[in-house]
Amino acid sequence: MKKILAMLLALVMIFALAACGQQAAPAAEKPAEAPAAEAPAAEAPAAEAPAAVATGSLKIWVPEATVEFTKAQVAAFMEANPEYAGYEVSVEPVGEGDAASNMLTDVEAGADIFNFAQDQLARLVSAGALIELSDENAAIVAAENDAGSVAAATMGGTVYAYPLTSDNGYFLYYDKSVVSDPTSLAAILADCEAAGKDFYMEINSGWYQPAFFFGAGCTLTYDTDDAGAFTKCNIDYASDKGVGALKAMIELAKSPAFKNGSSVSNATNVAAIVDGTWDSSAAKELFGDNYACAKLPTVDINGTATQLGGFGGFKLLGVKPQTDEAKLALCDALALYLSSGDVQLARYQAVGWGPSNIAAKADPSVQADEALAALGEQLSYTIPQGQYPGDYWGLATALGDSVIGGQYNDADDATLLAALQSFQDTCIGYAG
Amino acid sequence: MKRKQRINNTICYIVLILMSIIWLFPFVGLVLQSFRGESGGMVAYLIPHEWSLKNYQYLFGSGSKFLKWYGNTLTIALFVAILQTLVVICVSYALSRMRFRGRKALMNIWLVLGMFPGFLTMICLYFLLKTLGLTESGAVPGLILISVASSGMGYYVCKGYFDTVPKALDEAAILDGATRAQILVKMIIPMSKPIIIYTALVAFMAPWCDYIFASYVAFGYEKGYNVAVAMTRWVWTNDYQGFFTRFCAGGILVAIPVTILFMCLQKYYVEGVTGGAVKG
Amino acid sequence: MDEIKRGNAISRFFRWLGGDLKEIGVTFAQGDWKTKLSFLIMGFGQLCRGQIVRGIAMLALEFGLLYFTFDFGWQYLTKLLSLGTVETHKEGRVTVYGDNSFFILLYGILAVVAVLALIYLWRVNLKQNREAEGLLARGKRLPSNKADLGSLLDKNFDKTLLALPVLGIFIFTVVPIIFMICIAFTNYDATHQPPAKLFSWVGLENFKALFGIGGEGFGGTFIRFKKLWRTILVMTIAVPQFVSLLYVGKMFAADGLVNAYLLKWGWIKQTIPFWTNATYARILIIVINLWIGIPYTMLIVTGLLMNIPAELYESARIDGANAFQTFRKITLPYMLFVTGPFLLTQFIGNLNNFNVIFLLNQGKPQSMNLSNNAGATDLLVTWLYKMTINDSNYKIAAVIGIMVFLVTAIISLVVYNVLPSVKDEEGFQ
Repeated sequence: MKKILAMLLALVMIFALAACGQQAAPAAEKPAEAPAAEAPAAEAPAAEAPAAVATGSLKIWVPEATVEFTKAQVAAFMEANPEYAGYEVSVEPVGEGDAASNMLTDVEAGADIFNFAQDQLARLVSAGALIELSDENAAIVAAENDAGSVAAATMGGTVYAYPLTSDNGYFLYYDKSVVSDPTSLAAILADCEAAGKDFYMEINSGWYQPAFFFGAGCTLTYDTDDAGAFTKCNIDYASDKGVGALKAMIELAKSPAFKNGSSVSNATNVAAIVDGTWDSSAAKELFGDNYACAKLPTVDINGTATQLGGFGGFKLLGVKPQTDEAKLALCDALALYLSSGDVQLARYQAVGWGPSNIAAKADPSVQADEALAALGEQLSYTIPQGQYPGDYWGLATALGDSVIGGQYNDADDATLLAALQSFQDTCIGYAG
Repeated sequence: MKRKQRINNTICYIVLILMSIIWLFPFVGLVLQSFRGESGGMVAYLIPHEWSLKNYQYLFGSGSKFLKWYGNTLTIALFVAILQTLVVICVSYALSRMRFRGRKALMNIWLVLGMFPGFLTMICLYFLLKTLGLTESGAVPGLILISVASSGMGYYVCKGYFDTVPKALDEAAILDGATRAQILVKMIIPMSKPIIIYTALVAFMAPWCDYIFASYVAFGYEKGYNVAVAMTRWVWTNDYQGFFTRFCAGGILVAIPVTILFMCLQKYYVEGVTGGAVKG
Repeated sequence: MDEIKRGNAISRFFRWLGGDLKEIGVTFAQGDWKTKLSFLIMGFGQLCRGQIVRGIAMLALEFGLLYFTFDFGWQYLTKLLSLGTVETHKEGRVTVYGDNSFFILLYGILAVVAVLALIYLWRVNLKQNREAEGLLARGKRLPSNKADLGSLLDKNFDKTLLALPVLGIFIFTVVPIIFMICIAFTNYDATHQPPAKLFSWVGLENFKALFGIGGEGFGGTFIRFKKLWRTILVMTIAVPQFVSLLYVGKMFAADGLVNAYLLKWGWIKQTIPFWTNATYARILIIVINLWIGIPYTMLIVTGLLMNIPAELYESARIDGANAFQTFRKITLPYMLFVTGPFLLTQFIGNLNNFNVIFLLNQGKPQSMNLSNNAGATDLLVTWLYKMTINDSNYKIAAVIGIMVFLVTAIISLVVYNVLPSVKDEEGFQ
């Protein structure tokens, strides 16, 4: 019995050794994993580096659509800056959502430069996945990009990311042959119903839903501290304005033409849809000659025609904290280059992402874009999307689901107010 | 009497036909959509307006890494099927035929371990694999290792089968001077074809569905994806406009090997679960 | 009663420990120089006495484990109590990572395991030495190397068979579970994420917090838990679920195929909100579960019924049993005997498999009445998944994981041990 256990454990050992051998090697190579006291020894080669050309590898994550574009731009950058020739840059297709969640899981294995949507900023900062911009770069970014996008990249007075686009908002795509008057929700629904087609809006999403509440004049924002923690919630949903907005949503959901959704390619039988610029080519293809865009319509809230509001959103480029001076310099320079006005314009021409850079925005080709024009018009009714706790999105979906599910169809104002009160209390509960 | 039987039969057939329609409907939809020429997502009609092979052409074309992902998944599935079957046979034999101290305790502990919500430990497993260098570019061996390492706990069905093989056979063999190892290799394994095929089949099918953990392990490294991770992106994120029909086509291609295997080996599958050795 | 029992267990443990320590002393005092040296160099005695295989194995193990513990594990082991003190900081704009609490905990656990293994091996080593001395003193021969190796294929074949599986399960299942259980006693969450921040031990805080959220937090858990039963019978079918489920999920969307046809045929005026109405969604999930499960179950059951020995029915008929009696006395017990383990596997599989719910509708619709973002069709696992992925709330997820684990483990242990095929393993042999 015992002797055999010994044999068994012999096998344990072989494995332990094998595992250990492999473990020891990376630990020695990566100063990041070693305790600080030992770090200098391991970092010595890097310290000698400035004399020679620094070498290493750098990983970039961008959504699939821009991979080829980014590769070409990186190649152009490397050619213009031969001092970084020792670095090998790889570009991997990782969507914005995946990029953020991967960075949260394992910062050290994550990309050095990555694309993300600005609603993830607080989480990324609090997980230590973003390094603040150098003062020079922050000044350039602030001077060259529109105010909303700079605000979206800033937290607690510090700029943490490079704005890439200013097009992460939503507006109305519609079929000219069906919808005659895109300025009023009631008219759109009437046209859709008459034509037996559908109007799409994802009202159970915490992103689209505020179009009603913000339009009605409500607020919902969170204050954060420098570390990305939520300190205060500013909300007034539980009010007459909020009840009015909720009633407008309920009315919308009652229409047989209403469908909950926000993706052109997942929509069937669509005549009008509230969606963003990322779907513009799909929408063009779908509607053909009848393709048209407009700002969001007005809706009847408490008896007055009210313009729907919502969020203005931005795509950002982040750099993760670096342990090596030379590589940090490369990351800073490359990120600044990839978010520069010229590259933003080229990106718009290649994949249609609307720029945040003021000069690029003024370019005639951008000005002529119908979808961006509609978005630009809508942007004046929106607030730049700040930071929201992860739980908020689930809560908003719950509210939207209740509306779509018909739970409030016959509810009186008091019931609606009570529901919004509980919504508001929960929102406040997420802060602090 | 005869008339009654005929009515019974008719009802049976109607029910069976109705059931077949319900069961096959989504798959027919999937197949039809995969041949749809017009772009866009889910459509409100079943028969494509324009027939086309372009979805399949895309998958096999140079612009797509589908073949790489398919190859990854197939590699994982084959290795897992072979290694997991070996492990399960070893464990089942030991637990079924041998009596040693701690056997009951071991079985109970393993049962309890299986109850722990597995994905809670995913982040931990991810870092263990990372320490071994088996994430990102090493995702394929990493996934194989994880599947095989814990496969010992899935011994129930196989052990149940071995339990039905009469012990008298073993005893006779021991009297003839055979060692335990010889009994396993020369006697039990040849007798247990159904359960071996069952185990291998189940093991082969699982990696095709592995989504969550596989996406953890690949960690954004595209060449390390399996089909589930790669293709789920096509339906769930905004980055892939118009990929719905491609998803359908890919789904069909994924379903083919598994379905064929399943059809061919169905008989063993059933025998495996139900203990073929106790036939009267 | 319980206390007496526990007292007994504890006193028994200490008595055993005392006896063991005494025996170690006796081994040292009475042993020859080979045994004495084996206290330091494991396997030395065995090697000297010609048991080369055992000696080398012991020596190699000692070396390997010591190397692992001191070369790799030590730096983590020493920090295990604090989980790290050196904060990540910046020098200029360059980040200097400090201690990583995650790795300290993970590798610390591995190092503790290695140390425990070493102690156990050391004890085994001493016992072997003492035994060998005893055998030699009585003038008997020690088992030869060949016999040692040969027994691994015969008498001790079970050890050979189980060594790798046990090891694999230990490293890739048990260690991660220990790790997650430890997480439940730390403050690892969105604001304490390594490598940028340290996390530390907080004792029972999280358990208190969970019960503190009140009935809502915990009550919700058990509502979910009941739903586990519904999915017991969800099984894999040939077409990978991620394909069929994603497709079926879309089919039932508000703008999906089903609603479109119902509208077209004029059966309904307004689309049915399959996924946004909690009741519909639950019903649909069950129906789809059935849809997935029925063909499979049919396959098994038909095969099973054909498989029941005909003589059993024959003799029952001769004894004058009616159809119901044969079913109750023969068919049912037989089915339970054979499929018991199978059903159990399915049950376990379902606890960890949330493909159905997750791929179909991600636990939607959300409900404002359920805490922490739970949706009306969430299983516990899908809900926990959301909690870790969306909110990085590892500590609470770990706490709930432990709760669920305790409940399900007890239930399944009880069920498993009353299964006919387990109670009476040799019933059909």
